[in-house]
This record gives sequence, C-alpha cells and structure tokens, in this order.
Amino acid sequence: MGRTVTFRMVVDPIRCDGFGHCAELAPELVTLDEWGYPILQVEPFPQSDRELHRSAQLAVRGCPRQALTLQKITAAQSSELPERR
Amino acid sequence: MTLELTTRRVLANHLDHPKTMTEHEADFGSSKGLAITIDELRQSGITGRGGAAFPTAKKVEFLLQQRRATRYVVVNAMEGEPAAHKDRMLLATNPHLVLDGAMVLANLLNADAVIVCIAREHVTTISQVKAAIAQRGARRLQGPSFEVQSPPGRYVAGEESALVHWLNSNETLPQYRPTRPALLQIGRGGVLLDNAETHANIGLIARHGAEWFRRVGTATRPGTTVTSVTGNGKAIVLEVAYGTPIRSILSEAGITYEPLALLLGGYGGTWLDGQHLDVGFDDDSLRPLGAGTGAGVIMALPPESCGVAECARIVDYMAKESARQCGPCAFGLPAMAEDLRALASGHNAGESLARLASRSAVIEGRGACRHPDGVVRFVRTALHVFAEDFNAHAAGHPCGFAHGAPVSYIPHQSDVKDLEWE
Amino acid sequence: MIALTSPYIWYTSRISGVISLVMLTLVIVLGILISTRVGGRRVGRFEITEMHRSISLIAMIFLAVHVVTTVIDTYVNIHWISAVVPMTSSYQRLPVAIGTVAIDLMLAVWLSSQLKERIDPRAWRAIHFSSYASFVAAASHAYLAGTDEHATWGLIVLGGCVGTVVLATIWRILGRPERAVGRTALSPLEHSQDPYR
Repeated sequence: MGRTVTFRMVVDPIRCDGFGHCAELAPELVTLDEWGYPILQVEPFPQSDRELHRSAQLAVRGCPRQALTLQKITAAQSSELPERR
Repeated sequence: MTLELTTRRVLANHLDHPKTMTEHEADFGSSKGLAITIDELRQSGITGRGGAAFPTAKKVEFLLQQRRATRYVVVNAMEGEPAAHKDRMLLATNPHLVLDGAMVLANLLNADAVIVCIAREHVTTISQVKAAIAQRGARRLQGPSFEVQSPPGRYVAGEESALVHWLNSNETLPQYRPTRPALLQIGRGGVLLDNAETHANIGLIARHGAEWFRRVGTATRPGTTVTSVTGNGKAIVLEVAYGTPIRSILSEAGITYEPLALLLGGYGGTWLDGQHLDVGFDDDSLRPLGAGTGAGVIMALPPESCGVAECARIVDYMAKESARQCGPCAFGLPAMAEDLRALASGHNAGESLARLASRSAVIEGRGACRHPDGVVRFVRTALHVFAEDFNAHAAGHPCGFAHGAPVSYIPHQSDVKDLEWE
Repeated sequence: MIALTSPYIWYTSRISGVISLVMLTLVIVLGILISTRVGGRRVGRFEITEMHRSISLIAMIFLAVHVVTTVIDTYVNIHWISAVVPMTSSYQRLPVAIGTVAIDLMLAVWLSSQLKERIDPRAWRAIHFSSYASFVAAASHAYLAGTDEHATWGLIVLGGCVGTVVLATIWRILGRPERAVGRTALSPLEHSQDPYR
C-alpha cells in the first residue's frame, strides 16, 4: 500500500490578477492563457521531485496577490480531487 | 411514472391572485403544526429545483452536522435567468406553500429566521411575498420569523455563494470555495439555501409524505418541475412531472411549430437538436444527448431563426453579466462573444470558429463559480447542434435569418462600465 | 545624557536621510513597475518584485540610521519619541513632524507587508497605497528640515526624486490599459483587448 504524497498548485481565481510571476517561477507547472492568467497543471507531482517542489514553493511565495497554495494530497484523497485548474 | 400532462402540485388551483393564508389552508390543509423529519426528506428523494439538482436531504444533513448556534433558511427566489419565470409564477400562485416549506425546514434545523430573497426589480413579487408574510404573522404560527431581502437582480446574484455574500456584505459576488461541501454562512450562522420551488415541494411533502411525492416523476428525479417555456414571444409556465416527453410540454405550452432546436436549462444550459422532441424532460433521459433540464427552462427556437445569432446575443449578455473577478471569465467570455458576433454577421469570421472551440477549453473550470462553465457548455452544445449553420456562417454565407426578429429575451443591462455590483 | 556630538554623527544623519529618500523613490518606482506588469522578456517580473522587496528593506535600514543618528546627536534636541509621535520635537517642530508622519506611514506599509499572509488582502492594499502619502511627507520633510536642501546638490537630488515619482505615477495612471471595471486588472499582453472600451 503505497503512501505516495503528491502536491498540486491551486489558484484562487478571484485573488489572481494576472501578474504572471508564477509562470516565470514554475514554468513546468504553469502556462499563461492569452489574457495573462495561469493555467495550472492538474495532475499532482510527487514529493520526491525536489526541484519541482522548490519551483512550486517559489511560485507560491512570489505571487503578489498570494493567490496560490500548494495542496498536499495523500493517496487516499487523490480519487476525490475536484477538477480545477 | 404517471403521465399526467400538467400535474398541478405546487401550482395547484391557480387563482388570479396569490392565495391568502385562509385560501391556502382551505386548499392544502392547515399549516399549523406542520413538520417534516429528515428521514421523510431523504425518502422523498427530492432534489433542488434551482438548477444543480442536489439532494436536499443531504444539504440539510450537512448543516445539521455543523455545530452552529444560529442557523438560517434562505429561500432563493432571485430568478436571474432571463428565460425563467417559474419562481415568480409560484409566488404569485401559492406563496404560502413556499413559506410552509421554509418553515418546516427551519423548525427541523432550529433556525430562527427565514430570509426570502427576491430580486429588487421584481417589485410585484416582493409585495406579494411581504403580504403573505404579514398574513402569517396574523395567523401566529410557531416557528421562524420571515423577512424579505432584495439584492439587485444580476444573473449571478442568484448563485448561492453570491447571494449569501450579498446578505453579509452587500455585494453580489460569487465566492471562491475550494473545499466541498462548503458551508454557507451569514455572520457565524450556518445557512440552508434552496430554491423557492424546492421549498414549495417540501411544503407538500410535509403534508402528504415521501411516498406520495414519489408517485410522479422518475426514480432519480421524483416529483414535478415547474417549467418556463419561451420561443413564441410568450412566457408560459407549466408544471409537469419529470420525464414528460418534451413534445407534450411544448404542445401544452402552445408551441405549434416544429422547433429548429431547443435550449434547455437557460442561458448557461445546453442545446438539443429539434429532432429529439420525444425525449423525456429529465436529466437521466437527456444526459446521453449531452443535455439537462437545469432549473426547468425550455426555449424552443422557431424554424425561421438563426441559431448562430441567438448564441451571439446570449453570450454577449452572459459576458456582461460576469462578476469580473476572475480573468478567464472577465476576458474570455467577451472574447467568445466577439467571435460569435463575427460569425453571426459572417464577416471576418475565418478564425472565429476554431477560436471558439479552443477558448472554450481554456476557459472551462477556471472561474471561482460556474458562470463561465455554463457559457462554455452553451457554446459547445451550440457548435454541435448548429454545426452546419456555423460552418456556413464561418465561410461567409450567413443564413438569411440572422437579422430577423430575435427570439431570446435579453434584459436591459445598464452600461457595463457603470455596473453596480452592490 | 552624555553630550554626544560630533560632526560625523550629524553628517551621517543628513546623508542617511538623503539616501533614504532616494531608496524610497526607487521602491515606489519598482512598485509601479510591478503593478503595470512590466517585464517578462529580459527581466523577469518576479525579479522586479524581489528588488522591490529587498530595496525596501535597505530603505528601512537607512531610515533607521537616519533616526538613530539624529536622535543621539545632541547638536539638535530631538527625543526618541519624536521619531514616531509627530509634533513632539522642540527643534523644527513642523518639519520634523512631517518626517515623523513619513516614518509612521512607511512603518505601516513595511510591517503590513511583512505580515502580508496574515492580514486581509484589501486592508493590505489600502495601507500600501499610503506609500504615496509617505513619499510626499518625506520629500516635504527633506525640503523643510534638510540642512542640505539649500545646497545645489541637495536640491538636484530632491528634485530628481520628486520628478521621478511624479512622472512614474502619471505613467501608471495614464499608460495602463483600461481596467475591466477595476475588479480584475488587465494584463498588458500583446493582443489584449479591453472588451469594454
């Protein structure tokens, strides 16, 4: 029974004001749509991916509106993930 | 499934005025001592009539589990959907059924107050409900207090988080709710929010029981749906059992033409090709066709109209109704409206069709509320149902009907820049 | 209290005041660059934000030096309390008071930003806007209380700072694409369109 811990970056779309820092700091996880707002990767990434985790942390801290959170997902929860980007 | 064409339950014995308390009790039986248990609610299988069709018992159970000193019951009679008229019709017919339902739920939840929310533009409905509340006051029933609140009648003002946010801070702004289920709160009090028609049905279940309720409708959607039918220039409201074939509903509503297509569920709903008239009006029957009933809304597009033009008008309206809190909605919807305008006119529409599809994919799921998702769903189903028309328009050959009389009703929107999001 | 005066403490007080003002100017300009979403090609937007944050810390440090040296120097009679409570100094009461107001506002901005995660975003934003007011107070204080403002170089530096902030502010107001009703700021991308123009 694997207890893989994965993470996912989630954005509060109301707080987000399209500054775009997240796309610079975590380009592996974020692309910007044509209006400058982030499209986040939906699939969680494993905790073992240290670099990705670091990028995500920098993106979360670097957001001028603090619109991002890093969501920790245990294996048990992964089936109930809401489909948000 | 009983197939009575119009099954009058919550709209029973329609008079030319809202039933007074006396008339109401003469028709339906006394409201005094009326009560409902959570088991009865669960067994009835009643789902919300506001469009989301969430099982009402589950909502009540969730609130019961929250330890809150104060609780409120909110009746959502905002009816922000322009193609819908059923909540107003209901309150103009049997307002006390709605209030009865709210009362029994409030007593079940130990809630002190029922707040009936009516859009402030619906002046007649407001006075009708206030009169009904006054009659109840005179009747001295035990139970919660009733009050009417009137937010501005924007499209998203009826969205539950926006409505509750207005009650808290005077702004009709949908809220970001990442964890579901999410508790709605007024101050520190927990809130149960349901559509007016849901409350009316509960007012009847409290009298006749769950088994009675399930006698009409379908297994997953028991009961009736009060449906607004438009398309022929009139707004007809009728109550039918879930599962009634759409063809019957249309003929009963006086639609004599063979519709080109049907818009189900309102301006954020789904299009259905006109050949599917024999499908039952319920979600299980409609889902395989990519459609749903929404809050009981049907717009039947007449044969000599332009689906592309109607889409352009409706998406333009929906874009201007965005609360503009989230980028993908604030910018994405107007962009889609622009593409649809180009397609409707047939000028410079070369890339619009492809952009509509790609933008739909980009916008979907990225707002705090479901407003953009509704528009995306509307556009996607339109692209499917009106595929030929869209292709013709995109190639610069619009049909002749694009400039004809519009079918969908678009309410007046004050200049977008000055919108008051109070 | 020991009579602690020396030209060097006084000079440090003056020069650190000037540097604080220059740093404040830079911070404000960088803040304006953030809000107008400049960057993303050769300079990262996140880099501009980082600079804004680090230079504000440097500004606070120089401000602290300015306050400490001014207070301990007995050449002018200013008590510690005057650093935060306006109109309590016997030396140049009003000019010092204006400087005190500038400090108070800057402290509020800086502290609220250190606690950014814990406070309501709208409150943070409102406090942050008082940076402009603090600049006006700081510049006025520099002119009225500054010993060097009667020298040419002092006037040039002051004029440069004020001019820069004024121009940058005008640019922020005029140069930005129209906002979509203010609830969502517009990202100035290449093909962005204001749908409500």
